[in-house]
Amino acid sequence: MRKLMLGNEAVARGAWEARVAFGSGYPGTPSTEILEALAEHEEVAVQWAPNEKVGYEVAMGVSLSGHRALVTMKHVGLNVAADPFFSSSYMGVNGGLVVVSADDPGMASSQDEQDNRFLAKAAKVLMVEPCDPEESRWMAREAFALSEQFDSPVLLRMTTRVCHQTGVVKPQEREAWSSRGYLKDIPKNVLLPSHSKARRFKVEERLVRARGLSEASDRWNPILKGSADIGIVTSGVSFGYVREAMPEASILKLGMTYPLPIERIRLFASRVKRLVVIEELEPYIEAEIRNAGIPAVGRELLPFTGELNLPLVEEALLGAPRHKVTVDLGGVPMPTRPPTLCPGCSHRGMFTLFRDMKLRVMGDIGCYTLGALKPLAAMDACMCMGASVGMAEGLEKFGGPKEKGKTIGVIGDSTFFHSGIPGLIDMIVNRSEATLVILDNRWTAMTGGQPHPGTGKDIRGNDAPQLNVAQVCRALGVQRVREVDPFDLEATRVVLEEELAAPEVSVVVAVAPCILGARLKKGEAVQIAIEECDRCGACIRVGCMGIHEKDGFPSVDPDLCTGCRVCAQVCEKGAISLPGVGRA
Amino acid sequence: MEITNVLFSGVGGQGILTSSRVLALAAVHAGLDVKMSEVHGMAQRGGNVDTHVRIGKEVPSSLIPAGGAHFLVSFEKLEALRYMAFLRPDGVAYVCPLEIPPLTQNLKKDGGYLKGIDGILEEKAPHVIWVDAPAMARELGDLRMVNVILLGALSRSLPMKEEDWEAAIRERFPAKVQEACIRAFRMGADHVASNH
Ligand SMILES: Cc1ncc(C[n+]2csc(CCOP(=O)(O)OP(=O)(O)O)c2C)c(N)n1
Repeated sequence: MRKLMLGNEAVARGAWEARVAFGSGYPGTPSTEILEALAEHEEVAVQWAPNEKVGYEVAMGVSLSGHRALVTMKHVGLNVAADPFFSSSYMGVNGGLVVVSADDPGMASSQDEQDNRFLAKAAKVLMVEPCDPEESRWMAREAFALSEQFDSPVLLRMTTRVCHQTGVVKPQEREAWSSRGYLKDIPKNVLLPSHSKARRFKVEERLVRARGLSEASDRWNPILKGSADIGIVTSGVSFGYVREAMPEASILKLGMTYPLPIERIRLFASRVKRLVVIEELEPYIEAEIRNAGIPAVGRELLPFTGELNLPLVEEALLGAPRHKVTVDLGGVPMPTRPPTLCPGCSHRGMFTLFRDMKLRVMGDIGCYTLGALKPLAAMDACMCMGASVGMAEGLEKFGGPKEKGKTIGVIGDSTFFHSGIPGLIDMIVNRSEATLVILDNRWTAMTGGQPHPGTGKDIRGNDAPQLNVAQVCRALGVQRVREVDPFDLEATRVVLEEELAAPEVSVVVAVAPCILGARLKKGEAVQIAIEECDRCGACIRVGCMGIHEKDGFPSVDPDLCTGCRVCAQVCEKGAISLPGVGRA
Repeated sequence: MEITNVLFSGVGGQGILTSSRVLALAAVHAGLDVKMSEVHGMAQRGGNVDTHVRIGKEVPSSLIPAGGAHFLVSFEKLEALRYMAFLRPDGVAYVCPLEIPPLTQNLKKDGGYLKGIDGILEEKAPHVIWVDAPAMARELGDLRMVNVILLGALSRSLPMKEEDWEAAIRERFPAKVQEACIRAFRMGADHVASNH
């Protein structure tokens, strides 16, 4: 059978074939579709965790029970889960445990470009890297057996172009496998220092055994014999480019990249005149090869950042790309088209207020980060998930007159549950006077609308227990918690002013569902009384695709406008209104 | 390695992913290998998006090299121009004459649509075929048919047979719209056959 699948769907398929009992994780591009695809298999328990660390820990509990478990995240998610990731390496597994890290070379949807192959090495955890959907399927499947064979979690390291590549997959029957049952083993599973010291030796022993497999396996680390003039060592998505750029070359394709098969590489190198390493991001493989005293080139031929592609690899191997670009767009003033908040987005009014009130805004990650882009440009900093809270506390405490009483943190609800709560606890106990705005749109919007603890739905859309953001804040001990409707600009402004002035921590919860996540019906579009417009441009500066410049005047696109009235409320002339409703 | 490269471009939310999937499915039905690279995540929020589809006996990688696309299928004029450099010197651009203005920043400066874009497109592209899919879709009474109409227009240039396309459409769309999709697909195909 041949079936068309996305790389991420193929990972889910492989895990299902291996009789995985449980899947968890936290959404994050490019990893999100793995759990969504796994959830289509009713026999697997699949759930979103509030964050990657928790998802990892639940999966570890499932492994201890003797069942197979999968946990998925984007590359920065593994930073959040790094603590259990490193420590579970010492414990090893009972049922197989596979961790997917989906890296994002080129930062299509991420704040950094870290190369998580180094995390596998640092944690001494086995790592495998597929190059296309079919490999994603079989490597995911076999990773569970590897995990059990070597008593280690296995890192399945993907990248954007593997996750989001669609290709032909050959699905197989499910494996015959059943749970081993719980095994109580205190010296193995209780990481007291005395136990860890003993486990440290076990880790090293297992790496020696795993290296043995890596060295010997034609399945994981195949050699494609070709010309003796050049030998290319490569892995993951780069393999496809190498194969296409130089079909005649000898290729050592590494599927298991930790531990690396150094002796296999040495033998391969001895049979070719020149050894070249083609890998995306950091020279991870190349550094190991050079450390082993094997002469190789690679890094100097490739850019240090971004994704590879066929022309770049052709340039590295052949001196120039095969295809010439003949269309010259030089001189054409091409407008850019950056992503924007959707028409009707509940975040727009808030960021319009932040800008107009000249606040210092410590931001966070989510759709609302787009509030940092022009014309809103209403965010001062955004670092990593949850960081808005602590940064707001720090800036407010040590800032000058433009920061004192004017600093807010702004965080989405999914991000608040992910890692905002400990920051808020810090604000409370360390007497911060900053204000935290929580954008309660009920969905994890940025990654495509996954449910979170405040949604009241599970991954399959069934009803689930629902946490209330304001109640959580009150329970923690915040005295001043106010809920506002972010589509009512004036009322929201008054609340913000009061809470900024209050000499204690306050929380403002903006409650309005995500128009996409909640599948809201589009409302009727606003109308502009052009004769009353003085062309001040305030309506344009709310940054909405539903309203644009036409012959020097604002013009509404009735197909896009949802009638949210944010633009109407910033119009001082009152020229914008909903049909049949009085003007703002 | 004989590989046919088709690049789709448009604005996030226009449905270029659906078109690319149907094309890839048709290739699978024809017994060919296919690799496709798609966009998910941040770029989908109204930004420009592209998907790459590569079809052949054996396709090692999923990204089309610049200057290597045989066909460019664009759902929007500005996004046709943006990706034009992907075309080979003998490449063909199928362009939907739709204008979606990017976000304007103010009223004073001309932030609107690129002036004279039709002329620029015809001058820059090796060969342009205009496919007014929105007008045809309106004629059929369903604006969502734009993506299958464009596929129909493209289909005459590709090795897959009519039955491969039909099977792909049936696999991708729910039963109640399949017949309408197939009709729309033929409309796109006939448009190109009769005008070029
Ligand atoms: C550690 C980590 N995990 C996951 C992500 C991917 N990610 C970016 S924003 C976001 C959540 C956004 O949801 P929310 O805070 O509710 O804001 P919304 O997009 O709904 O406005 C996620 C999951 C990330 N950047 N970092």
